[in-house]
Amino acid sequence: MFLTPALILLLVLLVGPFSYMVGLSFTDLSFSQPDHDGNFVGFLNYRKLMRDDPIFWESFLTTIKFVFASVGTEFLFGLGLALLLFNIIKSQRVIVTLILMPMMLAPVAIGLMWKLLLSGEFGMLTYYLRQIALMAPQTAPLSSYKLVLWTMVAIDVWEWTPFVTLVILAGLMSLPKEPFEAAIMDGAKPLRVFRDVTLPLLRPIIALVMLLRGIDAFKEFDKVFILTGGGPGSATELLSIYTWRINFRNWDFGYGSVVAFMVYLVVLIMCSIFYKAITWKQGIEEIRT
Amino acid sequence: MSRAWRNLGLGIIIAVIIIALTPYVWMFLTSIKTRVDALASVPKWLFSPTFEHYPKVFIDKEYLPLVGNSIVVALSSTLLSLLVGVPASYVFARERFAGKEDLFFFFLTTRMAPAISVVVPMFIIFGKLGLVDTYASVILAHSSFNISLVVWMMRGFFEEIPQEIDEAAQMDGNTKAGTFFRILLPLAAPGIAATAVLCFILSWNELLYAMILTAFESRTLTVGIPGLVQPHGTLWGQVASVAVVATLPIIIFTFLVQKHLVRGMTFGAIKG
Repeated sequence: MFLTPALILLLVLLVGPFSYMVGLSFTDLSFSQPDHDGNFVGFLNYRKLMRDDPIFWESFLTTIKFVFASVGTEFLFGLGLALLLFNIIKSQRVIVTLILMPMMLAPVAIGLMWKLLLSGEFGMLTYYLRQIALMAPQTAPLSSYKLVLWTMVAIDVWEWTPFVTLVILAGLMSLPKEPFEAAIMDGAKPLRVFRDVTLPLLRPIIALVMLLRGIDAFKEFDKVFILTGGGPGSATELLSIYTWRINFRNWDFGYGSVVAFMVYLVVLIMCSIFYKAITWKQGIEEIRT
Repeated sequence: MSRAWRNLGLGIIIAVIIIALTPYVWMFLTSIKTRVDALASVPKWLFSPTFEHYPKVFIDKEYLPLVGNSIVVALSSTLLSLLVGVPASYVFARERFAGKEDLFFFFLTTRMAPAISVVVPMFIIFGKLGLVDTYASVILAHSSFNISLVVWMMRGFFEEIPQEIDEAAQMDGNTKAGTFFRILLPLAAPGIAATAVLCFILSWNELLYAMILTAFESRTLTVGIPGLVQPHGTLWGQVASVAVVATLPIIIFTFLVQKHLVRGMTFGAIKG
């Protein structure tokens, strides 16, 4: 009885629209044709997606690149930073919270901050990057076709490394002391302790945080939307931006629903892996206690 | 660890804090610079500040009501999510029934659902119901992810309350509902407060649902930001002012809930 309101609300808010979206994907509903309610077209939209839409697959590839580059870098930096914090200041909450700031702010505000920093004409960071000759005087990170996706990755790393750090730090604090004491008793060097004790113990937590980040990075919209809108050209047109463009610029809801459905599907698959990882982590913890 | 290593480590940590905060500081400085200073090709760190952008954008351009909209939406979505989410989380913490964990997983998927996919059918459905550009549409959309955040976080908090307390309360003649309302809710209050703050932050920061489901009347503050950025001639002082106002409350809230951040951001999977 306590469960019913939440269930009903979520069924109405998510399962309803989801089914409706799947239904729409078999129609040619489009708001660019007035008074047209959408006819049933069978699998036409799906065929278009598979055969005649290279832009979708290009966008898919861009998204994969973005996800792997961001999450990979965030993992390396996050792990390093967490180990550093753990060994030097433990849980100085205020310092940790200061580092965390980027991930709590509205992503659209973050996009705006970086637009200010990276502008070709008056960007503060652009200026200093050119000064120390890391960048040619004429290039700007947001309008260079070659640089722009990696710029997005760098901003995402700036925003989300704190999250990875926070979770791994929490994991480090929760580790049992005994394996470390035993390893040190056996005379293991710090690097060996890290490789043979710390990392294996942390593995479930690392898996969780990578998956969470992966899902979020796959859905990335806000920052890229305000920074580049998908451009220049289609250099940063992530799947979410592409979905947005088909639905809310072309108003092509029939085909747009297929694209939206695909994005949903990928996220659902990643979700079930995440759930497996949670059960795995709990299993390991139960063995330990 | 030797002193030199320790100092190097501290140096890196300080550098990281500076890297984390500088973009924000720069945005704040831009919000109090004159147009000429903001567009200077050599970055200006010292300048005589002006506060003209804030009244210009919030009063003259009428952005002030957007702050109100953001507050109404975030508060209502938080309340609604707590109202239905807290009792549900209690069921997950205490009851045993077949398929419980599968149902719990269903709640997780609702939290992860990509907004860009959900908003497409939502926009059409709400449009047919005449709900586009009302508070209701955004509040409901934001509740769709906040409810499961509540369920996932609060389950952990309820599980931390020993089962014996329930049993003692029922021995004293409380019904199940009575136990929940009179005994467990007060005990879980700190957890509920932390969860509420996180819900508020998520709703306040959200862009995609709000942008597509609102037009004028119920526009939130985040939606107001992209609208001010033009291909040419953007008034950066004004955009930065809006962004500063949109982020200041969140900075305060973050310090309030820092203890529960890990749990909140990992759906309770890691206690922190």
